[in-house]
Amino acid sequence: MPQNEHIELHRKRHGQRLDHHERKRKKESREVHERSHKAKKLIGLKAKLYHKQRHAEKIQMKKTLKMHEQRKTKQKNDDKTPEGAVPAYLLDREGQSRAKVLSNMIKQKRKEKAGKWEVPLPKVRAQGETEVLKVIKTGKRQKKAWKRMVTKVCFVGDGFTRKPPKYERFIRPMGLRFKKAHVTHPELKATFCLPILGVKKNPSSPLYTSLGVITKGTVVEVNVSELGLVTQGGKVIWGKYAQVTNNPENDGCINATVPGYPEFTRNVLTTTKNTKIQHAVGFQSQDHQEDR
Amino acid sequence: MALYNFKKIMVVPTAKDFIDITLSKTQRKTPTVVHKHYQIHRIRHFYMRKVKFTQQNYHDRLSQILTDFPKLDDIHPFYADLMNVLYDKDHYKLALGQINIAKNLIDNVAKDYVRLMKYGDSLYRCKQLKRAALGRMCTILKRQKSSLEYLEQVRQHLSRLPSIDPNTRTLLLCGYPNVGKSSFINKVTRADVDVQPYAFTTKSLFVGHMDYRYLRWQVVDTPGILDHPLEERNTIEMQAITALAHLRAAVLYVMDVSEQCGHTLQEQLELFNSIRPLFANKPLIVVANKCDVKKITELSEENQKIFADLTAEGIPVIETSTLTEEGVMQVKTEACDRLLADRVENKMKGKKVHDVLNRLHLAMPAKRDDKERPPFIPEGALIRKRAMEVDAPKRRLERDLEVELGDDYILDLQKYWDLMNEEEKHDRVPEVWEGHNIADYIDPDIMKKLEDLEKEEELKERAGEYDSDDESEDEDMQEIRVLAKQIREKKQLLIVQSKDKDVHGPRMPRTTTKVRGGGQFKIITAVSVLVCTRFARRSRSITKKRKREASAPPTSKTRSQSASRPPRDQSGIRDPKMAKKAKKMMKNSQKDMNRQGKKGEADRHVFDLKPKHLLAGKRKSGTNDYR
Repeated sequence: MPQNEHIELHRKRHGQRLDHHERKRKKESREVHERSHKAKKLIGLKAKLYHKQRHAEKIQMKKTLKMHEQRKTKQKNDDKTPEGAVPAYLLDREGQSRAKVLSNMIKQKRKEKAGKWEVPLPKVRAQGETEVLKVIKTGKRQKKAWKRMVTKVCFVGDGFTRKPPKYERFIRPMGLRFKKAHVTHPELKATFCLPILGVKKNPSSPLYTSLGVITKGTVVEVNVSELGLVTQGGKVIWGKYAQVTNNPENDGCINATVPGYPEFTRNVLTTTKNTKIQHAVGFQSQDHQEDR
Repeated sequence: MALYNFKKIMVVPTAKDFIDITLSKTQRKTPTVVHKHYQIHRIRHFYMRKVKFTQQNYHDRLSQILTDFPKLDDIHPFYADLMNVLYDKDHYKLALGQINIAKNLIDNVAKDYVRLMKYGDSLYRCKQLKRAALGRMCTILKRQKSSLEYLEQVRQHLSRLPSIDPNTRTLLLCGYPNVGKSSFINKVTRADVDVQPYAFTTKSLFVGHMDYRYLRWQVVDTPGILDHPLEERNTIEMQAITALAHLRAAVLYVMDVSEQCGHTLQEQLELFNSIRPLFANKPLIVVANKCDVKKITELSEENQKIFADLTAEGIPVIETSTLTEEGVMQVKTEACDRLLADRVENKMKGKKVHDVLNRLHLAMPAKRDDKERPPFIPEGALIRKRAMEVDAPKRRLERDLEVELGDDYILDLQKYWDLMNEEEKHDRVPEVWEGHNIADYIDPDIMKKLEDLEKEEELKERAGEYDSDDESEDEDMQEIRVLAKQIREKKQLLIVQSKDKDVHGPRMPRTTTKVRGGGQFKIITAVSVLVCTRFARRSRSITKKRKREASAPPTSKTRSQSASRPPRDQSGIRDPKMAKKAKKMMKNSQKDMNRQGKKGEADRHVFDLKPKHLLAGKRKSGTNDYR
């Protein structure tokens, strides 16, 4: 029975076929023709996949070629040089670009004064009632049509209990209730799966806000305690606002981004010397402003 | 379950291939057409089916991988340890664990999205959900790329491991590298292990099988072991240690007396002492190899003392040389006998023996009288037995000659010919001489034999063996002959009679009248009455012996129907030139029809403008030119 490296052993003892190298060479050179034949004759889905793969390969090839070329040629280093007449004592100096570096704190204070929200998606398509709420017919003859079922993804809190089914006007199905959102932080360039604390505002209608319907553009509050963020003053941040960036009912998940800055903080916890946890009051004043 | 056949593990595809296979399978095996105007439950069902199908495929494939790969706890500890040495138990378990997790994750994803799809109220929404579900499943699998690669490599290596049965009779060879373990196994079994002058030629375990006392024995060759503590051993040496530790075998510790392996006898003794604990409860033999270079008696005092000590302890030391093959058989028999005795002893100590012993009964026949009745063993068997035990020099084989001469060897079978004149053995035999074919005259008695044959033939002919035998014909056959004769006579009579009757008067030439088939029938009906009565009985067919003659062509030609009128392509034609033109015109008009595959002018109708088998289904137009 063939044991261990029997193939290599056979090659060592008996060598390879007499025409091995020729066959290998011919096979490799035939590859070019086969590739072109495939590229011409494939149709349908296979063609799409093949062309996509080939496109990626070609890009890689071009990149490596360019890389090799770059080593051969010399490139000019064009630094910034000041244009126009330059005084003599500046002739030797290279151009400098200056920018005002402002601290985060100052920027935040300015925004506070202006009172504007900066949101990732400023304009969002409004969802009509027929789209979000579906009419449910009830009654002995299925004629009463006062019940509505939410067809979009929604959030209900932890302690949520339904009203008695007979009196319940808005039905939020369990299959469409989500508790977690995938939140992307643009600075950290990372995505985290964070639990939702609540729906802050749905731009289409205050009715949806109260129902907890989450559509594209909804501002949602997420629990960021696991990120371990701390404010300048030493307070631990555990809630942040994030705006939903996808259509959750089409994708089956809620993707949201946290705007870069200014930060929105809420319910910041303070820790005293005795490590007692106190609940600090207050929203920041800009919370309540709407974007126009 | 004894998973000693690791060759049955399915190929583990790479992550990319895995995804491609499953997605294209989903595309092919599930329905592909759905429209916006379908009822919503139909749309939902369509997309849910795809999600579930993909999940099922992934699940099945991943489960198969998980069951195919052996669980380290379920197999024999020898194999478990060997796999730990080769593949690292932790890494192996982790890889399989990851696959398991991926499988569960995929199941959960499918479940969630199927649940969501129940609320899908439009085709677009359901489609997006299906897309999201498949995408997530494939992403989960993409993350398993390294685990799958690792498992594929493990599978390839595992399938090439030698199939060593840990429970059967085994001889284990160990010692320093280059002492002659692989040469020993090559001599004793048919295993073809590589033997080279550099150390660590054998890098893994090899197994060979041999027969002794009508039983099958395994011989396991190990890579050489160097003398350092266990922690410092590398993978190759650890395989040898694993084999030593787990296989209950007879251990043959091979030493190199001539010190050609690069290690002195002292060092070899050191190694022996350090791995001594592994030899506990195993029959042990020390093989002093390469004794054709140096014998033990030629060694120095202290070295000879080493061997003397070993013998004093009860470990047999046997001098061998794998080159000249002396002592190899002795080692084999000694080791096998010791192992057999050990195994029998162990079995007797165990509990299972009593079941068998209770049922065994050795009957000793009582002596009837004083006559000696020893067993009869033919001479040949005795000789063979002796040859098996002792290495008797065999007669020089052709193969030995070939090996000796190497490239100069020519196969010369003529030297075995038995001729009157010994010198003529290598003469070239001509094929033709003086116009005669030599092959005809090979036999010296050939003329005489030819005469005998001819005489025999004559006799046979005279005796009438080649005549047709009338005597062998039975009654029926004779009756048939009589009947046939009668039929012939009657036929001729009828013909003459019809000629005499002048019914028709002045006659027209034959070409102007149509031939009537009726005349023949009359003769036949008259005759058939005679025949039917006699023929009814016969069911067998008798082959008649008949002299052979050249086959004659059929005597009568069938006449064509239209003998009275000229054929259509010849009527009205004056000369060959006109005939030729007419033929040309005919062929011209037929060309078009032939090209379109029509039978004639009337064959205009196409019954099936759009044949279903060419145009329907997934493989429709553009894919095939024929079906």
